[in-house]
Order: sequence, then C-alpha cells, then structure tokens
Amino acid sequence: MSRSLPPPCLQTCIWDVTRAMLLLAIAWLGPQATAQDTPVISGAVGFIAHTNGGTTSLQPVIAPVAVIPIGSRFLVESRADVREVIVPEGGDGTYEGQFYPTLQYLQLDYLVNSKLTITAGRFLTPFQTYNERLTPIWIRNFPDTPLIFPIGTRTAGSSDGGMVRGDLVSKPGWQLNYAAFFSANSSVEQFQAGRATGFRTGVFFPSKRLEMGVSYERFLQDQNSNSAGTYLWWEPWRFPLQVRSEYAHGPEGQGYWIEALYRLSQVGGPDSWIGRLQPGFRMQQFFRTSESPVDFLPARDTYQPDFGLNYFFPYEIRLSASYSRRFTTPVDRNIWNVALTYRFLFPVLRGGRQW
Amino acid sequence: MVIGTRLGVMPGALLIGAALVLGQEPTTQPKQTAPRAQTTTSTKNQQSEGERKFLINCGRCHNPPEQVSPRIAGSVIRHMRVRAMLSQEDAREILEYLVP
Repeated sequence: MSRSLPPPCLQTCIWDVTRAMLLLAIAWLGPQATAQDTPVISGAVGFIAHTNGGTTSLQPVIAPVAVIPIGSRFLVESRADVREVIVPEGGDGTYEGQFYPTLQYLQLDYLVNSKLTITAGRFLTPFQTYNERLTPIWIRNFPDTPLIFPIGTRTAGSSDGGMVRGDLVSKPGWQLNYAAFFSANSSVEQFQAGRATGFRTGVFFPSKRLEMGVSYERFLQDQNSNSAGTYLWWEPWRFPLQVRSEYAHGPEGQGYWIEALYRLSQVGGPDSWIGRLQPGFRMQQFFRTSESPVDFLPARDTYQPDFGLNYFFPYEIRLSASYSRRFTTPVDRNIWNVALTYRFLFPVLRGGRQW
Repeated sequence: MVIGTRLGVMPGALLIGAALVLGQEPTTQPKQTAPRAQTTTSTKNQQSEGERKFLINCGRCHNPPEQVSPRIAGSVIRHMRVRAMLSQEDAREILEYLVP
C-alpha cells in the first residue's frame, strides 16, 4: 500500500509551523539576563521532633511556595504544607505515620496600584499578623503556633473568596495598611473554609520600626459570632531585638502572646558562631469563656511560658529548639520541640523567561 | 477576665513607651545580614536607601535570604508587594538594591 505525500501547500504550512515552534523553543530556553520576572519556587524542607507530655511525634515537612508573575500586573501564588506525622503506636516501640497535605493558599492577585491589590481564590485569612506572616516553618521563631491562633482563623487559617489589600497611606513617617476579605463556606477537601468576613488594618512607623493594628472577623454560619484582636510589633534600630505580640478575643475566650527574641549579632558580628544564636522568650495566656467541643483552643484556662533558641547556620539552614511549660487543669505538662529547616529559593525556568 | 485584659494591655503600653524612647532611627545603619547584591551603576545613596527599605520591610517578618538571583528579583518583589503591602516607590528602590 503506497503512502501519498501531502499537497505542497500543506507541506509549506507544516514547515512554517515547525519553524515557528523551533523558534519559540529556542526563545523559551535561551538565556535572557535582563528579565527579572521568572517564576519562583521557594519554601522550606524541615524536620520537627515534638514532645508533648511525654509523647513524641516526628514530622518531616516540605512547604513549597510557587510565585508566577503573569504580565505586569498579575501574580499567581501558592503555598502548601505537606507533612508526615509519625507517632508511637501502642507501647511496644513501633511508630505509625499519618500523611497531612494542606493547601494553604492558591490565589490570583491583580495589582491595581500601591493602594489596592485584588485577590481571588484561596488565601490566608488576614486576621491579626501571625497567620499571614509567621506561619511558614522557616520564619516562625517558635515551632509551635500560639495558643490563641485559632481565634479568628477558624483552625485552617485559610479562606476561599475575595480580598482587597494595600497601603492606603504611605508617608515618610508612617504608613497605613489594610486587608479586607469575604470568604464562602466550602467543605471541599483541601479547600475547606468557613463563611466569614473581616478586616485587618495597621499603622507602621518605619523610623521606629513600630507597627500596631486591629483585626475583626464576623463568622457568618452556624452561630454568627465576632472575633477581634489587636497587635503590636517592634524592632528597635539599636538592637537586633524582635518584639511581637497579639491579643485576641472570640466567642470561645480570649488571650494574648508576646515574644521577644534577641540575636547576639552584636557579639562578634552576625556571621560569628555566637552571632548566629538567637535566644527568645514567649509568654502566652488563654482564658476560656465558653465550652466548645472542637475549636482547637485549650479546654481550660491556660498559661504557658516558652523558652526558645535559634541557631542560623550558613546556607539558609536553621536549628530551633524550644521548651514550654503548660500550666492548665487537670495536669501541667512539658512541651519540647526541635526543628531543623532549610529554606530554598530558585527560578523555575532557565534564563529568566517571563510569562 | 479583667485580669486577662489588663495583662494584654500592659505589655502593649510598655512596648509603645520603650519604642518611643529607644526606637529612634540611628544615623548609621546597623550591620545586618543582607543579600549579597552585586553593585555596578547605582549610587551608594540609592543602594543604602534600597537596603534600608529591604531591612525595614522584608526584615520585619523574616531574615533576608542570603542571595537573590537577579532573574527572580522582580518576582520576589511582586510577591512582597502583595504580602508586605510595599508601596510602588519602596518596591522600586528594593529592586534597584537587589539588581543594581
């Protein structure tokens, strides 16, 4: 059976398409040193050993972040937290692992201008500061989240819907920033969220590196309830000191945390072995006002001092250790954490390809 | 509950007082770990202003990464514009600092 050749015009078309594809491929793979908007993969891998009341769990974690600029005003961002929680099974020394993949955000941002960015998709609920700024394992100063973290963030910490945010006023001496959101109810796995609305707004004084603000959230399903909070951050210029604090009030109770960390970089410089040390202390209290079976808050009034020590190795490796004493009823307990994290940051495509 | 509210307010008041007394920006910048950006054409003033903005905005939440490739600097800045609500001017100065 003979195979007939395509007509000459079709051959020309095929050649043109092939040539165009080759040119596209060369342009795609070729170096473009001036482009700066290459998609980025960032995040961290880590290993956490957590001991609570004598029970130890081991948690290998990978938390990748993807940043994909599109054109000059759009940005797709996503972060996941994938971890295996390995806990002892029975009393015979065997361990069993449970896999926990979590999509923390997957959002499309439209940067209108400095004062307004419109976000759609799944995003971190902008209630207080800890959820948006400090939850990544390579950023948080203490491996454990604060006791009051579930207030306003509804356990998952993520919302599905829309958000507007920006820098409303930007003066040399002070800046006023804001974020407001609406979230729909979703029970879809990996996209679970509650129906809620709220905002956070803060004033930042760059010359003093002082920031304070307030948050509010209205939960709009089941029982309509309000959560509110305030926060204060301060990083003085004179010392490598970080002071952060939050107070939050919700239908379940109220509480606060305040942490102070001092990096010993003034002793021998930031790259000396002692300058890489960062001891810290956090105090937190929670006062329960109403019973709730599953709100992820302490069941009773609790106060807890945390003592932490971070060591910053070269190449973005950090070793963190903390000891906490949780005072609560019916029994007090010790909590130990050791975490090793490696932070990575690299372009996805060769040569600075812009999408 | 009253005790809890007071405990929440008092550290805040103390912090604000301390910040007002001790938080004045010094004339010489503190030595901190910053990305090893290459310097070519930008002036020293532009670089130090960009570095200052970098430390104020990025360093507020996390330590600066040890190195930022020029190829991804624009993406990182755009990410920071959304996360840290950077103004357009701050973003431009930080980008000039990262990719002089």
